[in-house]
Amino acid sequence: MSGLVGWAFVLAMALLPVVAPDPYMLAVLTSAGIFIIGAISLNLLLGYTGQLSLGHAAFFGLGAYASALASLGFDIGIGFGMRLRLEPQPVYVGFLSAILVAGVFGWLLGRLAFRIRGAYFVIITICFAQVLRMLALNWVELTQGPMALVGIPPFSLWWPGQGVVDLTSKAQTYWLVLGVGVLAFLVVRQIVHSRIGRALVALRENETLARSVGIRATHYLVIATVVSAGIAGAAGSLFAHYVRIVDPDVFLFIYTVTMVIMVITGGKGTLWGPVVGGLIFGLLPDMLRGSARPEAQWIAYGAAMILLVMFLPRGIVPAVAAWLPARRPATQALPTPVREGVG
Amino acid sequence: MLTRRTALLTGLALPALHRTGFAADPIKIGMTQPLTGSVAASGNYVANGAKIAVDVLNRAGGVLGAPIQLVLEDNKSNPREAVAAAEKLVLRDRVPVMIGAWSSTFTLSIMPKLLEYKVPMVVETSSAARITTSGNPYVFRIAPTSEMEAVAFAEQLAKFSPAIRKIDFLSVNNDFGRGATEKFTAALQAKGIGIGRTETMTPEATDLSAQITALKQSDGDTVFLTTGVEQQTLALRQGVEQRLGKRWVTTGGSFPDALLANPLPAGNTSYHILFYAPWFPERAPYPAIAKAYTDEWNKHGWEFAGLTEGFRGYDAVLTVVEAIKLAGRAESEAIREALWKVKLQGVNGDIAFMKEGPAGRESGQNKPNVAIVTLSEGKTGLL
Amino acid sequence: MDQALQHLVNGTVLGGTYALLGIGLTLIFGVMRVVNFTHGELYTFGAYMTYALVSLLQLDFFLSLLLATLLGVALGAAIEVLLLRPLRGADIDSVMLAMIGAALVLQNAAMWAWGGVAKLVPTPFGGTPLVLGPVSVMPLRLFVLGVACALLLGFWLLLERTRAGIAMRATFQDSETASLMGVRVGWVSTATFAIGSGLAAAAGALLGPVFMVSPTMGDLVGLKAFAIVILGGLGNLPGAVIGGFALGYVEEFGGGFVSTEYRDAFGFLLIILVLAIRPQGLVALKERVG
Repeated sequence: MSGLVGWAFVLAMALLPVVAPDPYMLAVLTSAGIFIIGAISLNLLLGYTGQLSLGHAAFFGLGAYASALASLGFDIGIGFGMRLRLEPQPVYVGFLSAILVAGVFGWLLGRLAFRIRGAYFVIITICFAQVLRMLALNWVELTQGPMALVGIPPFSLWWPGQGVVDLTSKAQTYWLVLGVGVLAFLVVRQIVHSRIGRALVALRENETLARSVGIRATHYLVIATVVSAGIAGAAGSLFAHYVRIVDPDVFLFIYTVTMVIMVITGGKGTLWGPVVGGLIFGLLPDMLRGSARPEAQWIAYGAAMILLVMFLPRGIVPAVAAWLPARRPATQALPTPVREGVG
Repeated sequence: MLTRRTALLTGLALPALHRTGFAADPIKIGMTQPLTGSVAASGNYVANGAKIAVDVLNRAGGVLGAPIQLVLEDNKSNPREAVAAAEKLVLRDRVPVMIGAWSSTFTLSIMPKLLEYKVPMVVETSSAARITTSGNPYVFRIAPTSEMEAVAFAEQLAKFSPAIRKIDFLSVNNDFGRGATEKFTAALQAKGIGIGRTETMTPEATDLSAQITALKQSDGDTVFLTTGVEQQTLALRQGVEQRLGKRWVTTGGSFPDALLANPLPAGNTSYHILFYAPWFPERAPYPAIAKAYTDEWNKHGWEFAGLTEGFRGYDAVLTVVEAIKLAGRAESEAIREALWKVKLQGVNGDIAFMKEGPAGRESGQNKPNVAIVTLSEGKTGLL
Repeated sequence: MDQALQHLVNGTVLGGTYALLGIGLTLIFGVMRVVNFTHGELYTFGAYMTYALVSLLQLDFFLSLLLATLLGVALGAAIEVLLLRPLRGADIDSVMLAMIGAALVLQNAAMWAWGGVAKLVPTPFGGTPLVLGPVSVMPLRLFVLGVACALLLGFWLLLERTRAGIAMRATFQDSETASLMGVRVGWVSTATFAIGSGLAAAAGALLGPVFMVSPTMGDLVGLKAFAIVILGGLGNLPGAVIGGFALGYVEEFGGGFVSTEYRDAFGFLLIILVLAIRPQGLVALKERVG
């Protein structure tokens, strides 16, 4: 039932460029879509593992840099007179390496998350992004430092009958981002509905109990972090080839905060939460452009964050689902593990 | 602050009022500047300069019988927003030509979009060499590159007494700082001047004690300081604290105006490379134009120090409007071709574009003038 | 050698204010289990209040410092009552999210109210440095170091010698037992947050005149405060002082002798190292993972 609604939504979004081919609207939606993918991946950590990871921009940024560097190529000294060289690769190689690099760092963070929890974990994730920013600023030979990586090629895709073509039109880019978004959504849904997802929720709700029945906490946490980081890396890659410039500011805390606001507004721990929250906060800045100063907007977003935490801690999606019980009997939120069991 | 904000609002409203005098639809010029965020102060100065240029030109009859309308978009001191602002200007407002985007990073991030939408842009501030050498034929820069600034400075070396013998650098860690370090090193080395240490700082750093203590170890007599006005002020003050005892020269065209009201102790004279010295409009290459700009600015009651940067917006609008006039119509391709033919007198001096970058895809680059202003005990002078 | 002495003096002055920042943050965490994301904004607030009192209202410099600190205390108390009190009992993550929201509001309000142009605060101290052999230091910086040390000492006396301090320490150690023993934990929380905020505002009020006052000045400082408390162990008061001075020296010597490019990165690299090797902090009293 809700699956049908979901696919109808995807179909409607997919038909948008045909029905209303306004390039500006498509540009705004593409840009919002990239951050929605980031939010979907963050939700896996925030909503399902209960780990407040505030360094998510790190994975996004790593993906952006990895993808940009793979498609631009590089030639750097690695000490002892040796050099590491990479010829420019096709964009899809960049995309895959973005997922890989971000995933590897996700694995490291997942291992760490098991050693330190709570406030320590939060602060270390913030510092992790900050250190990467410093690295990107100062490892000029590789990253061009503050001069930023420019001239990043646009997306290309293999098209039947035409070989590899550049995606230049707004609609093509939009469809690509939509496609990756749907894929990311399905991956997260698959995980959440699998044994891994049930184990994660069990760990989130009561770790001691979950461990006592034999759930391997490290194992599942690491899987979730790797997948989450990989998807964020993919979003970073899309960002790099869409904006076509990557500078160290992609690691800024404010990008993480943007994704966090999207997730908690929509509803953390619900599959549609980041999509709903992402659409709101992805489109709002452009709708308010010219009518509200960015400072006023940020004040409103900050206030919204406080009010949500206080009055709607589960977010919009569960609240709406509760209001419309007849139409959508199955909320996307996972049932509590106590009823579901721990698998 | 309040006066500046109200002034900003009236500035926005003015083009709308002027529209009544014209029969034709207004001709739009898009502009993106950092109006909010970390470098907002400079962005607002440049935007104000552009607004008064539009006022002055509209009072003189607009262009092609139509009024000029400036469509200003905030890029929020952020490259992603710079792209969003450019897309909004081109796709929604359908501007045929743009001005932007202050920092090199913002300009570089917009440049692929210029190629995509085939819209020319006049670059008013950014100094990175790559902007005009990367083969983007839609870029026309009136701001000087670091290299031009360095070469122009080197021609005025004889004015310094005692002479500059060996130099050190304190540079902000970005395109601007690194570019200036590289180009001033080359230009001054060619004149037989020794090169000492190079210290860098992150743009948000406030405590520069480690850098200045390190600079003290060098036997250079002059430190070239490349960063925004805020860090210029901090460095000059902390130089006194640590008894650095060297001559400071700031590059890049901005001026630490906070030191006018809170001067350094007597005996500290600093030197500032500017592209417009508002204290001496009569010494500008075209005094009448400089005076018209300065008077119009002061009429709004804006901060005087903003004049040193505001002229960039003023000259950029003059350039774009001249190109529209030469093109005879407000279409992107015609304006792009006409920009090559622009020969204009601006606040900074002559504006004309020469070709730079790979053959067939050249960008336009103007050769600007520099002035060296001295600051001592809150008083300015011209070297 | 001369250079090393100068770096030592600079690092000490820097470390004193870092300690002030760190102790406020770690106190709040220790007593309330709240990671105060508004710490950097309170620092900015203290600096802007000093600017407003000295430059706009033409008040005495020293009186302005005191008033700015007290205004910081008041703002901290307001945040606690309006924001943290309703969220008591909520999980640590929700509180953190609300605090991030509050930080966004405060920072953008500062940007809106004061504009982007950085301000200089005039001081009664002259612009000429004190010279002691190879070392030179501004009288203003010495004053800042002196006040920072006095505040740290005063704070220590408050904790050790007063009833309020005993209540605070009791809550710090075990809030449930403390409340059973008759400590009004709600009141202690408000007082703690107000004092912690006041220390951050005092650091801003002191350093604003040394450097410049700008709306984003709290960004890096807030991050560094995190670095300091992680170095010293979250919720560890002496640790925060040690962490503050450690970071001051590391930045100053690292910047002077290794590379000024990485000056601000040293602190964060140190954190990653510390957390990889000793997750409980350099000088932790006991293991804390909560």
